[in-house]
Amino acid sequence: MTVIAEPGIPEPGIPEPESPPVAPGRELLRLENLQVHFPIRGGVMDMITRHPRGYVRAVDGIDLTINQGEILGLVGESGSGKTTTGRVVVKLTRQTGGRVVFDGQDVSDLWGTGKLRAYRRRVQLIFQDPYETLNPKHTIAEFVREPLEVNGIGTSRQDREQRILAALETAGLRPAADFAARFPHELSGGQRQRVVIAGALVMDPDLVVADEPVSMLDVSIRTELLRLMLDLRRERGLTYLFITHDLSVAWVLADRIAVMYLGRIMEIGPAERVIRMPRNPYTQALVSVSPSPDPPEPGERAARTILVGETPDAAHVPPGCRFHPRCPLVFDRCRVDEPPLFDVGGGQQAACWLAEDGPGAQLGNARRFDAPEG
Amino acid sequence: MTVDLAIRGRRQWPMPKQADPAAPLLRVEDLSVRFRMPNGSVKAVDGVSFGLDDGEALGIAGESGCGKTTTALSLVKLLPANGYIKGGRVELFGIDLVPKTELQIARYRWREISIVFQGAMNALNPVQRIGDQIAEPIEIRLGQPRESSRKRAGELLELVGIPRERVASYPHELSGGMRQRAMIAMALACDPAIVIGDEPTTALDVMVQAQILQLLERLRRDLGLSLILITHDLSVIAETCDRVMIMYAGRVAEEGQVRRVFSAPRHPYTQKLLSSFPNVRTDRRTLEVIPGMPPDLRNPPPGCRFAPRCPSAMPVCSEVVPPEVRFADGVRVACHLYPTSDVTSDPPGARPAAPTAAGEPAP
Amino acid sequence: MTPATAPPAAAPGIQRRSGSAGRARLFVGRFLSRSDGRYGLLILAFFAVLALFPDLLVGKLETATTATGQSLQPPGGGYLFGTDELGRDILNLTVHGARISMAIGLMATVITVVLGALVGIVAGYVGGPTDTVLMRVSDFFLVLPTIVLAIILAPIILDIVGADAELFGIRATMIVIIVVIGLTSWATTARVIRSQVLSVKMRMFVDRARVVGSGPGRIMRRHVLPNVVNLIVAQAVLTFATAVFTETTLAFIGLGDPFAPSWGQILNSAQGAGAPGLGAWWYIAPPAICVVLVVLAFTLVGNALDDILNPRSGARR
Repeated sequence: MTVIAEPGIPEPGIPEPESPPVAPGRELLRLENLQVHFPIRGGVMDMITRHPRGYVRAVDGIDLTINQGEILGLVGESGSGKTTTGRVVVKLTRQTGGRVVFDGQDVSDLWGTGKLRAYRRRVQLIFQDPYETLNPKHTIAEFVREPLEVNGIGTSRQDREQRILAALETAGLRPAADFAARFPHELSGGQRQRVVIAGALVMDPDLVVADEPVSMLDVSIRTELLRLMLDLRRERGLTYLFITHDLSVAWVLADRIAVMYLGRIMEIGPAERVIRMPRNPYTQALVSVSPSPDPPEPGERAARTILVGETPDAAHVPPGCRFHPRCPLVFDRCRVDEPPLFDVGGGQQAACWLAEDGPGAQLGNARRFDAPEG
Repeated sequence: MTVDLAIRGRRQWPMPKQADPAAPLLRVEDLSVRFRMPNGSVKAVDGVSFGLDDGEALGIAGESGCGKTTTALSLVKLLPANGYIKGGRVELFGIDLVPKTELQIARYRWREISIVFQGAMNALNPVQRIGDQIAEPIEIRLGQPRESSRKRAGELLELVGIPRERVASYPHELSGGMRQRAMIAMALACDPAIVIGDEPTTALDVMVQAQILQLLERLRRDLGLSLILITHDLSVIAETCDRVMIMYAGRVAEEGQVRRVFSAPRHPYTQKLLSSFPNVRTDRRTLEVIPGMPPDLRNPPPGCRFAPRCPSAMPVCSEVVPPEVRFADGVRVACHLYPTSDVTSDPPGARPAAPTAAGEPAP
Repeated sequence: MTPATAPPAAAPGIQRRSGSAGRARLFVGRFLSRSDGRYGLLILAFFAVLALFPDLLVGKLETATTATGQSLQPPGGGYLFGTDELGRDILNLTVHGARISMAIGLMATVITVVLGALVGIVAGYVGGPTDTVLMRVSDFFLVLPTIVLAIILAPIILDIVGADAELFGIRATMIVIIVVIGLTSWATTARVIRSQVLSVKMRMFVDRARVVGSGPGRIMRRHVLPNVVNLIVAQAVLTFATAVFTETTLAFIGLGDPFAPSWGQILNSAQGAGAPGLGAWWYIAPPAICVVLVVLAFTLVGNALDDILNPRSGARR
C-alpha cells in the first residue's frame, strides 16, 4: 500500500477530513420508471406519416430515490443518460414516461402551472461549464439576482442585494461586493463555478443537481469546490444529485452511487459496497479501469477489465441485457431477457442475472475474460 | 542515459544527416520560452531541463498554466506567433533544434517528433477521408508515391486497432475513441522517434481512455516508441509512464522515476498534487486542498514560485530560487527543503521521510 | 467554511480593465487598428460633417430662384463642380444632398433593423410553428424586387394619402421610398439575426435562466438580445449602405421627391437635363462619387464591426 501525503495534518484554515455522512432523512426525490425517449425525425416521409424513424432511448426506465441530506452519485459514461436524468429532475427536459415525486408530491406534470415556479425554487442545478453558464454580458450580481427577480423573492431591492451578497459569501467569494460588480471574463474558472453555486444557493433550494461541476476545473481547484459542496451539505442540509463520469470523484463525495449504462441503472447502493464489491460486471469493469495515481503493480495491469468497443448509441439498444455484447461474463439468458435490479444485501442492488441469487455469489468467482489488445 | 541500438536499428527511415548515432535521443537543457503580451512578457517556461531515452515514456504533469504544453510545442518550434524560445538547447540525437529555421525544422517535424494534440478529435479535417489524412504526411514529407502511402495508411489503422476498411471513412463516421486512434495513426505515419501526446485522453470516457492507454503501451513495446505524455492527470502518468516531471509555474518541481516520485514525493507541491486526486483504490475518502492560485507569469514572485502557497515555506524560499538537487535514486527536486550540501540534520519543516542519503550537488 | 480563493488583484489572467470603460477603450483600439475601420470611419466622418452642417459649409440650399450661375457651367470661376441647368451650384446641391440621402437611409434602416431583429429573435428563440410561419413570410419579402415593388407601391400609397401629404414633416414620396426599402431589406436582417439566435439559444446560460424560472420574454430580452446586439449593429450599418444606394436608384428612376434633392434626385435631374448627351460630367460625377464613397465607407465599417464584435470561442484558459 503506497503512502501518499498524510491528509490528517491539521493546517490552519483548512477543514478536517470529512466526518461520517449525516444520517439521511426522509425521502426527498423519487423517480419511478423514468423514461426519456427522443424521436428521430428525418425527411419528408416522416413528417407526412408523423411516425418517427426510431427513438433515442436516452433514459429507459430508471427507479431512483434520494433522501434528504444525502449525496447520490450518478455515474456513467457518455451516452448513459445521466445528464438527461438530471435535466428531467430540474425540468429542463420533459420525461416521456414515468413519474417524478418530490417531497411526497407528484411533480411529473407541472408545465404551465404556477407550481412549476415553486418547484424550481426548491430544486436547482449546477452546470458543468463555468465558462458558459454565466452570460458574458451580465455582471455577477445580475446572474445571482435573476432567480430572485423571476420568482419574486425578496421584499425590496435592498433585501435582494443582501441576499445576493450573502450567497456570494457563502460560496466563498469575498469581498462579496467586489465580486458582485465584476464580469465573468474577469474571474478564473474556480471563481466562476463558485458564482454558479451562489446562483443556485440564493433561492435556498432543498435539492441541488450538480452536473459534472468540477470536471472542467484544474485538479487543485476541484478539491476546493468539492469541499465547499460538502460544507454546504453539512451546514444547510442540502441534498445532492451528483452527476459525473468520474467514479473516483463519486467515491470521495457520494454516500450512495448509482451506475448508469445506456439509459438504465446497472447498480446502485452505498458507495463502499458498489466500489469494493460490485455485483454488475459493468461496474466492476469501470472500477477496475478507474485511474488512480498509484502506479500499477505488474499483475494489476492484466487484471484490468478493459471492455472492447464503445457504448452503442441509444437509438440501437441491444436486446436482453443491454450490456451483454460487451460483457465479459455473458451467458445465454443475458441475450434474451433484461434483468431487473436484484437486491444483493446491504442496501445494494444490481441489474444482472448473476445477482439473481441475491447476497452470495461474488463476481470474483466467475471466469475472467481476456480482452483482445487495443 | 542509454542508447538502445535495437530500437534505433528498427527505424524505417535513415537518421537525420547531422545526427550523432551515439548521442542520447533527446536532451533539453535550460529551456526558456516567453510570450509577448500587450501588457508584459510572460515567462511561461523558465530553465527547464530533462531528457528522454529510446523507448522511454516521460510524463510531464502540472496544472494549466504550468508550461507543460509550451515546453512540448517548443521541441518542434510550434509556438504561436507571440511566443519565442529565449534560451536553452533542445538536442535530438545531438542536433540542437533551437537555432533551426522554419525551413530546417520541417525535416524534424512529424518525421522525428510528432504530436497528438489536445482535442485531437476536432483536429481532423471533416471533409477528408481519414485514410487520406493519414497518407498525406507520408506522401508529402517522405516523398512516397500515393499508392504505397495509402497502403501504409491502412496498415497504420490496423496497428491502432481500427479495421482497415475504415480507411475510406470520414471523421464523423467514427466514434470519439476511434478518432483518437486515427490521430495516433497519423502521428505514427512517418515512423517518428518521439511521439508527444498533449492531453490525449482528456475528453474521453474512462473506458475509452483505458483502451487508448493500453494501445499506447502496446505501441511502445512493439515499435520501440518513445513517448512524452503531457497531462494534468497524474493517474494517466502513473499508468503509462516510466518517468514523470512535475512542473509548476514554468519550472520543474520534481522529476524522476514514476514509482519513486509517486510513492515518496519530496516536493511539497508534488505531495499536495498527488493527494488532490481521488483514488478509488484506497480507503482514503478525503482530499487535500491547495490554497491560493498559481502566480501571474508576467510578474512571477522572486525565489521559489510555489512559496506563496507552500505549507513548508521558509524565509529563504521567497528570496532565492531553489537549486536542483539530484538524489541517489535519480530523482531531481528543486526545493529549499533539500539543499545542495550534505545534510545531517533535517531542516525545519522537513518531513520525517526526507531521504537520509544526502543530496548530491547538481551536475 | 472553505476559505475564499485569492482576491482578484493577485490572481493571474484577470484583466484589470474591468467594466464598460475598459471594454470601450479596447474596442476602439481594435477598431482603429484595422485599415477598413480607419478609412471607413474617416469617410463617414467627412460625410457626417457635410450632412450635419450643410448651411455652414455652402450656405442654404439653392433653388431655381436663388441660383446665381449660368446654366450648365463647367467647373471653374467659383463653382467647384459647375452648375446645373438652372444655374445652381452643384457643390451646394451635393453637400445638401448628403443630408437628405443619409436621412432617408437612416429612417429606412431603423425600420429594417427593428423589424428584422424582432422577427429574427422571436422566430429563432420560440421556434416551432411560429418560426416556420415567420420564415415563410420573410421568404416572401426576401424575393421581392425592390424597384418593382417601389414602382407598384408608390402610386398606390400616394393615391391613398395624397401626393402632398406629410407625416412628421416628411413628404409622402419620401415615405414611400423609406417604406419600400424597409420592406425589402428586413427579411435579410431577420434571417441573419435568427441564425445567431439559434446558436445563442443553445448556450448554457440560457438553460440556466430557464432553470431558475425565467420565461421566454425575459430570456429574449435579457439574454438573447444583448448577445445579438453586436450583430444587429453590424447589420444596421450594412443595411444603411444598401438603403442609401437603393434610395439613389429609386430617385434616379424618378420615384424620388423633386423638392428634396438627394444624390439620386440630382442624378435624375441630370438625366432629365440631358447632361450625359451634353457632356456635362460635372453634373453627374459629384453625386455619383459621393454615393459610391458613402456606400463603401459603411460597408468597410460594417465589416470591421462584424469581425470585431462577433462572439468567438471566448478567452478560455
